[in-house]
Amino acid sequence: MTTSPNQRLWLGLSRVLYSPWLHPLNDADAWERLRVWMNPMWSRRDYPARVLDIIDETPDTRSFVLKPTARWPGHRAGQHVVVEVEINGRRVHRSFSLSSAPTPDRRLRITVKRQPGARVSGWLHEHVRIGDVLRLSAPTGRFAPAEGAAPLLLLSAGSGITPLMAIVEDLHRRGDPRAIVFIHCCRTPADFIFADRLRVLAAEWPNFELRVHYSASAGRFDVRQLSDLLHCQTLVCGPRALTQNVEALFLAAGVKDQVRSESYSGRVLPHGDATQDSFGVHCSVTEQVFTARGDTSLLEAAEAAGLKPAHGCRIGICKTCQCTKRSGTALNLRTGEISSEPNELIQLCISVARSPLELAL
Amino acid sequence: MLKTKLTPEQLDQFQAELDALRSEVAADLGERDATHIRSVVREVRLNAVAGRGLLMFGFDPISFIVGVCALARAKILENMEVGHNVLHGQYDWMGDPTLNSQQYEWDIVCDSGHWRRTHNFEHHSYTNILGQDDDYGYGLLRMTGDQKWTWRTLLQPIWYALLAIGFQWGVAIQDLKLGRWFKGRMPKGELAERAAPFLKKARSQLYKDYVLFPLLAFWNIPRVLLGNALANLIRSLWTNAIIFCGHFTADAQVFTKAEVAGETRGGWYLRQIQGSSNLEGGRWFHLLTGHLSHQIEHHLFPDIPAPRYVEMAPRVRDICARYGIHYNSAGFWRQYGTVLWRILKYALPVERRLRLVRA
Repeated sequence: MTTSPNQRLWLGLSRVLYSPWLHPLNDADAWERLRVWMNPMWSRRDYPARVLDIIDETPDTRSFVLKPTARWPGHRAGQHVVVEVEINGRRVHRSFSLSSAPTPDRRLRITVKRQPGARVSGWLHEHVRIGDVLRLSAPTGRFAPAEGAAPLLLLSAGSGITPLMAIVEDLHRRGDPRAIVFIHCCRTPADFIFADRLRVLAAEWPNFELRVHYSASAGRFDVRQLSDLLHCQTLVCGPRALTQNVEALFLAAGVKDQVRSESYSGRVLPHGDATQDSFGVHCSVTEQVFTARGDTSLLEAAEAAGLKPAHGCRIGICKTCQCTKRSGTALNLRTGEISSEPNELIQLCISVARSPLELAL
Repeated sequence: MLKTKLTPEQLDQFQAELDALRSEVAADLGERDATHIRSVVREVRLNAVAGRGLLMFGFDPISFIVGVCALARAKILENMEVGHNVLHGQYDWMGDPTLNSQQYEWDIVCDSGHWRRTHNFEHHSYTNILGQDDDYGYGLLRMTGDQKWTWRTLLQPIWYALLAIGFQWGVAIQDLKLGRWFKGRMPKGELAERAAPFLKKARSQLYKDYVLFPLLAFWNIPRVLLGNALANLIRSLWTNAIIFCGHFTADAQVFTKAEVAGETRGGWYLRQIQGSSNLEGGRWFHLLTGHLSHQIEHHLFPDIPAPRYVEMAPRVRDICARYGIHYNSAGFWRQYGTVLWRILKYALPVERRLRLVRA
């Protein structure tokens, strides 16, 4: 890769600015806090975005229209961002699909369905006001329609409509010539997110056909209804049960490559008081796997498998063995606390597995 | 003061009461604690900027004194209320990487990795167990009759004064285990390996206080050098006094390895209480001690945010009273007086026991 003189100047300058020889004058956290104190949009950590508008889409779903700063790297339709909020002193992260296509005015939209008992979606609904600043990660994800001439089938259920809405808007904006069938499943007409916008598109865009399946009246959506659409390039987003069924259908027809899916699943719930069960533990840093019984501490199980995690007191005091649990459910034997949220810190010496786990070890 | 012995049943009940207190406070952690630690971090930075600014740009003695005090205050608050407590993982639940125990690096020559091992692990697990808790006398002082007396011990008031003046260096080299090295018990190369993080940290701290900031105020080099040295000295004397009040007061007990064999968590709790002592004072005093004025509560619950100890203390005291356990608490001068008295008393070959304890 070649660098322009400008870039080289900037690189040299930043090397001087961030040099350890200038510490503590260049303490990144101190400057960050000063900037945020002056104006939250001046933050250089992640991507701040101001809430320009809040739209009630359905009784339990709200869209937040966001304006990020000039640093925002841009997104592709179908990608998602991680939103960071601070709830009662704790930073919590959740992924949300961007429900808007990239536009010249660089506005973004996330659409949040309020789930009963879910902390982050409930907090966003209750606490975020127009003018507030949300903190986003860079957009990630490769959920997008394939290139080609084959007709497109877009299938979503519930809040799974959000990335597909971005994709539909994007196809429309770019004048994509392909025929598109959009099938959306939701409980009742009142739960149909983006109903008006999609109906307008269906009326004015001849390539675009909209079908809606209301499960309250027509029952659970049966993927066999798709058997005459197996020639389409397919995108499906919804609960895991739906995406798995669709994938199985395409696999059976021998056209597995034609389907791309994105699914969300609820939290992994503890398997009761399963002290006798064994669970697989995946260490995502060292790429090692071990098995932990429900009555053996994760530290002991890891050591029995030949791993050597850092540790100290082995009684839950010194926190030397603390590590991030990426996913799964663990029980803290000392406090009785259950950790089932992603990316929580657990102490290996006093924690036992209550589901398969992924650890940053 | 004698050690209280509890029956196994009493011990289990005692443990359950303290566990319940811990769970109750842990469940209540939130916004208030996050706001507190962030405001202290802000105060540290404002004091450091003000202190260094006054030292750099002032010419008069008053701005010098105020500057030294502000900088010393910044260093004390950073070490005691932020550094020590953050490194214990008291604020890990916030999910803020700048306040995370495994990532924080504090403003002292002691490397935070070393500290987590010698303090969080060794000192907090083996509190006051002779031969296992290096903090008991720092391998330098004889604080109880159970420790060996040699002719060198006669001079321990001098050793103590030197340790107090250079306290940050004392804790910084603790993990080098120089005692083992002198006795030739350390494999070759281990010392260099142990010393590497310390040397790196010491270099950056010395550079900051004695090269970077003096050079930035090139017209005022001697003033900045002297001011920074004084601020470091005040910080060392203060932290040393507070920390020595934690485990070396008259009634703070010591333990042997044999005594703690097969210890339950209840027994561990009991040892923490009997080996620690509290200081009484106002809100500002507690803050400047990093709430180590509540050493007993800190040793029971090292990962609960320290300001909470203030509200936990009366309840711990009540539990102790019900089990007949001595709760060692008094004002600063009274407690520190007994510490200094112990240093003088055990310099002499008093209370020499036949039992040999390897230091």
